[in-house]
Amino acid sequence: MTNPLRQIVAEPPPFATPPYGPNVFAGQTVLVTGGGSGMGLAMAKAFAQGGAKVAVMGRSIERAQEGAAQIAALGAKVHAMSCDVRAADAVAAAFDEAEKVLGPISLLANNAGANFPVLAENISVNAWNAVTRIAIDGTFLCSTELARRLIARGQGGAIVNNSAQYIWTGFPGDAHSAAAKTAQATMTKKMAADWAAHGIRVNAVAAGFFPHASSTNGDAAEVIAPLQAMIPAGRTGRIHEFGWLSAMLCTPLMNGVTGQVIVQDGGESLRRSLMNPDFIAPRDREGGPWGWK
Amino acid sequence: MGVEMTMWLSGKRARVLGDAPAIVSALTAQGAQLVTDGAVDILVHVALPAVVKPAHEISHAEWRATLDAGLDQRFHEAKALAEAARARGEGGAVIFVGAPEQALGSDHAAAAGALGNLTKTLGVEWARDGIRVNTVLTRSDGTALGNLVAYLASDYAAYVTGAVMGVDCDDQ
Repeated sequence: MTNPLRQIVAEPPPFATPPYGPNVFAGQTVLVTGGGSGMGLAMAKAFAQGGAKVAVMGRSIERAQEGAAQIAALGAKVHAMSCDVRAADAVAAAFDEAEKVLGPISLLANNAGANFPVLAENISVNAWNAVTRIAIDGTFLCSTELARRLIARGQGGAIVNNSAQYIWTGFPGDAHSAAAKTAQATMTKKMAADWAAHGIRVNAVAAGFFPHASSTNGDAAEVIAPLQAMIPAGRTGRIHEFGWLSAMLCTPLMNGVTGQVIVQDGGESLRRSLMNPDFIAPRDREGGPWGWK
Repeated sequence: MGVEMTMWLSGKRARVLGDAPAIVSALTAQGAQLVTDGAVDILVHVALPAVVKPAHEISHAEWRATLDAGLDQRFHEAKALAEAARARGEGGAVIFVGAPEQALGSDHAAAAGALGNLTKTLGVEWARDGIRVNTVLTRSDGTALGNLVAYLASDYAAYVTGAVMGVDCDDQ
């Protein structure tokens, strides 16, 4: 892929060299929501690289199983489950099942989410509820389920939430996700404070563009090429560096780090010029509400 | 701790300005070579906290000293690193460390707020030079801070630039 403007593009180390050792999570179980594909799968693989047992949860059991197979190939003990994170009873049952198979859960990655470009006036009640409640209620229900179990056992733990780089600016053409992802970031800070005395850390990664096979537009080279040029860092994110930061925040290396929302977006959310091309309302954009198809 | 450390900073030259033992030990534990002059890949600038006074009791000289240490010197040092790195055709990493915006007096509030938005600006201006700029505003000075700074200095944070963060809940 060529990018005529690039000068020096900083790259992460390759997937085979994670920033922590293979036993950093030894004996621990992580539950990853939406862990069967995309960013959740990247998180799950990163935890697996550190020796965690991995419970992969998804709306679709088939997709969770597909992801679980990839995680198992890394040598991790894994269990795939289907669960709707919007239902408290279902979340509790999923924790029961995962703990029965893999042992007590002490780590949680809240990744489950839905997102698609749509004008605000075209967001149906169902679509609004789906996007906001999977991220907002789902993160609340899974986090509190874990916290109650950890507090009852007198054990600490760590939670990482997958937020987004557009949480401080709004995201025209994406009202439902703009609301949902900021809720995740702000609840991160408050839950961290609520649970600090219990040794439960809560952090979030506000992620930029990490193309993967199940992205809205996939990760084909011809899709990514034009995106590289628009990002200050000169490239889109590598999915494994997102997984690593998420998992690393849960390692003992980061003991003491809590309540943080770390933006990992190659400077994308900070790109700004005094003069810009004419503003085109999301409803008038040729490529759809995101200005891109 | 039983934690296996992958060396994050092997072959990197780091310059630490300011008093921060936890950061120095984390950088060296991760393989960085500490240098005091010459070419550097990593600049960590730690500003000492100013004396806390109500705004109306801060003299202009005290105000200026806080802004100099918390903002001006940081800008000049970062600019020097960027110029030198560009001249060598290499990237680099700058990490500013200080207290949270509202942790001290109004002099520090001004300096830290300015520093945050300077961080976001330099992160974008120098992105295509492979030079990343990040800030940690915290009250803590322990192992967690050291490891976080070491991470930000490393290639593992290659996609993190222009970010402002703390260490724990007290840093909001």
